[in-house]
Amino acid sequence: MADDLDDELRRLFSDDRLDVHVSPEATDAVLRGADRRRRRRSAMATAVAVVTLVGAGIGLTQLPSSDDHWVGDLLPTSVPTSASSPPPSSSSSVVPTTTVIPSPPNPGGSNPGTGTGKPTSTKPRTTTPSAPPPAETAGVGALVLGMSEADALKTKTLVEPSSPADPEGKCVAYATTSVPDNNAVIISSAKGIVRLTVPSTAKTQRGIGVGSTVAEVKTAYPTAAQSGTELRVEMTGTPRWTYVFETDGSAVTSVRKRLSAGDCPGV
Amino acid sequence: MTAVLRLGSAAERGGGRAEAVGDFAEFVRVSMPGLLRYGHALTGNPHDAADLVQAVLEKVGSRWVAVQRKGDDPLAYVRRAMANTHISIWRRRRRENLVADFPDSGAVEPELSRLENEPLWQALRALPPRQRAVIVLRYYENLSETEIADTLGISCGTVKSQTSKAMASLRTRLGKD
Repeated sequence: MADDLDDELRRLFSDDRLDVHVSPEATDAVLRGADRRRRRRSAMATAVAVVTLVGAGIGLTQLPSSDDHWVGDLLPTSVPTSASSPPPSSSSSVVPTTTVIPSPPNPGGSNPGTGTGKPTSTKPRTTTPSAPPPAETAGVGALVLGMSEADALKTKTLVEPSSPADPEGKCVAYATTSVPDNNAVIISSAKGIVRLTVPSTAKTQRGIGVGSTVAEVKTAYPTAAQSGTELRVEMTGTPRWTYVFETDGSAVTSVRKRLSAGDCPGV
Repeated sequence: MTAVLRLGSAAERGGGRAEAVGDFAEFVRVSMPGLLRYGHALTGNPHDAADLVQAVLEKVGSRWVAVQRKGDDPLAYVRRAMANTHISIWRRRRRENLVADFPDSGAVEPELSRLENEPLWQALRALPPRQRAVIVLRYYENLSETEIADTLGISCGTVKSQTSKAMASLRTRLGKD
């Protein structure tokens, strides 16, 4: 009986009547549609880039002159631990509440570690650059690693439409309002956000961003491990996550945060 | 230096795009008949098959270079994407704008399906999308349970149970109990 059904199914699926006539226009229609999708993404990415640049410009003009504000207000992050406590004004230990620090556009400048240097000149810090990594958070802006797709969409920072990030359809990719790359954010249906790309104008708490040299990364993050053209730094905190500094061999070309327990291939 | 490198890579991307478009066009031309047939088996009617193929190919085509860079067989990639789209997204989103302006191209036969009068075809059409996909992958694609599990991103146990339920349902509908 079962064999009969097996045979019938095989016979049915090899039936010529399954064939569907292909219109001569079908290929062109697909090509037009694909091109339209690609151009729509490009246009969106361009618009996002322009908005980002304008936003960065406005943000810079509003930077507080007082030194100990690390621009936390400009790039708010959902920091679960210390966000509610304002930094004590009494001097010494500086506990930044954000992960990334936007750097001003650097016309012709090639020293990403210093930026314009403006904010760092007035008051000496007691923290040293080689201290253990501060508790950098697993977030970028309002997005946090592990956040569900629904919650991420609520932040209004994802640019739709999403695109599949793997053939199985378990993971989807989005551009964001601050990163025009279509794979800026990758979200797993099971694990939530597994990749967050840091805006190219931003720097980590240790001053690393796009354009930083490999040596600067290794100095700032002594535990950085080379993996192909990437430098990876395992960070502490919950959930466990990793900084991934993609390089062209000499300089950082992108910075992203990766959920260590992610389940999307190639993240 | 970095800027120069970026400009260089951007130029390379631009130059390679035309080649990628031509490559994708050839892929579509060659694979379209087989994909429509596969889509017909998956969805149960040629209209939905055409829409499904169009939607998936548009998505894949807009990211063709990235798909190729992954090193998978593009045809296998598209087939997997079709199976998953059919199950997880298609039914939910087809009233939305997946195929913005799919041409009324006459790509389908006037009747719903030429298999419409086949009892087994009717029974297959009545299966839930995932059970139907499992059956199609098993008997149309001749995939093993492991391969089906891999394709659909589910466990082998789920494949077995879905297959079992589907076969039982088919037998019941065909009066083969």
